[in-house]
Amino acid sequence: MLLSSIGRKWIVAISGLLMIGFVVVHMTGNLQMYAGTPDKINLYAHLLHSYPIILWAFRLGLIGVTALHIWGTISLARENRRAKPLQYAVAGRKSRLQVTWTSVTMVISGTVILGFVVFHLLHFTAQVVDKSYASMETAVGGVAMHDVYRMVIKGFSNPWISGFYLIAMGLLFSHLRHGAASVFQTFGLRDRQLVQVIEVGAWILAMALFVGFGSIPVGVMLGLIRP
Amino acid sequence: MKLHLRVWRQKGREAEGQFETYEAKGLNPNMSFLEMMDVVNDELTKEGKEPVAFEHDCREGICGSCAMVINGEPHGPNKGATTCQVYLRSFQDGETLTVEPWRARAFPVLKDLVTDRSAFDKVIQAGGFVSVNTGQAPDANAMPIGKEDAEKAFDAAHCIGCGACVAACRNGSAMLFVAAKVSHLGMLPQGQPERGERVRKMVAAMDAAGFGNCSNQYACEAVCPKEISADWIGRMNRDYAVSAVKKL
Ligand code: HEM
Ligand code: SF4
Ligand code: FES
Repeated sequence: MLLSSIGRKWIVAISGLLMIGFVVVHMTGNLQMYAGTPDKINLYAHLLHSYPIILWAFRLGLIGVTALHIWGTISLARENRRAKPLQYAVAGRKSRLQVTWTSVTMVISGTVILGFVVFHLLHFTAQVVDKSYASMETAVGGVAMHDVYRMVIKGFSNPWISGFYLIAMGLLFSHLRHGAASVFQTFGLRDRQLVQVIEVGAWILAMALFVGFGSIPVGVMLGLIRP
Repeated sequence: MKLHLRVWRQKGREAEGQFETYEAKGLNPNMSFLEMMDVVNDELTKEGKEPVAFEHDCREGICGSCAMVINGEPHGPNKGATTCQVYLRSFQDGETLTVEPWRARAFPVLKDLVTDRSAFDKVIQAGGFVSVNTGQAPDANAMPIGKEDAEKAFDAAHCIGCGACVAACRNGSAMLFVAAKVSHLGMLPQGQPERGERVRKMVAAMDAAGFGNCSNQYACEAVCPKEISADWIGRMNRDYAVSAVKKL
């Protein structure tokens, strides 16, 4: 039953919700770039890395959840394409069919986000895009640690990289504008009275993530976040 | 008034189809869309040509036969109306209208605008009923049902099985139809004993028939002539999960 249409929709929704939880926490952590001192985010990053077992358990869990999400969505989307072999010669009006742009571009937005995640991990986690990041060290209260703060500033000083991050965050907005509202439908929690609240809430969540994540490269480019 | 029509013509299930154009002249704006099709077919017959095959029966919006996609919109331009309830006054004089059959793998074209919608019957046969022992009709009011529940069940029961939801869906998904059928019985006490089994079996039949999966775009709800709410799909998703977990 997990493999049925609805079973897979539940898998996509649960995995999507867990990923939303992750991005919300991640974005909140990033906002420490605004703390006024580099120490705050550096200490936070140091803390996250001080228990490798927990860190790796978390990473593997997240990879598993992502894999489930992608497997579910791709298998559903392939069936959907097969179920509609011919589109209409004339497209109906949007006002009549009420289909949103964000909902028809889920596979595209999701795929670009996936590509972004891979780049992001190579960029700031594996630090192979620019080898100099790995040797950026600082000390807080006498403890030596990686200087995440300056690494981020250096990373976003490159306008191509900042631009790509912004595009990806725009697509994350688009994906979650539809996805976050969809979770309620898949869980059977959407009803007449709640539709507006859910739709507006999903928009606000997606926009908050876009602004929260996106403001950092913008802030660096504008010189508001400085070493 | 007159209209230019581009109508899908297809000789049979396996045949290649194509659009043919027709001029429908001398029309009265108060004619229904099907009456216009009758006029076109009369002309074709007089010219010794094959009339356009289309389905129709009640012509009053209750049977669900009259399946046509007009300019990419199942059942045409008006909300909450079947094709037979669309009147020519909804169009501009001289407008070009493209008329196509429902498009979905699970609804193959049989001829022109007629599709085989028996996939819906298979879904109903899988569980869209309540099993009762025959005998005397039960006493009226022997089984009290709250007004609110009765109304809600009736909202879902309004589905006439036309298939416009499938036709409108970019994924060819039948979830609005199936959800309406699952829920109208699931809302009532008579439907409770088989509730879990029903949703599992109907969803399995829906999947087997080659319908796509809902991606929460709600075009189905927008074109449904009976304005069945997409919230029923949410309820079906929940019912399905509850029944799957109970079965473990
Ligand atoms: C940060 C990463 C991601 C998050 C937070 C996320 C979140 C979500 C959520 C919450 C949904 C709605 C689930 C529902 O239908 O109820 C969803 C749907 C979807 N996601 Fe993602 N997703 C992410 C990455 C991806 C990726 C990498 C892909 C690439 C294939 C993808 C493809 C899709 C598709 C196609 C749907 C629509 C499924 C449907 O309703 O049929 N997502 N996503
Ligand atoms: S749910 Fe609406 S559109 Fe779908 S079959 Fe029933 S009446 Fe037709
Ligand atoms: S002919 Fe019966 S609903 Fe249109």
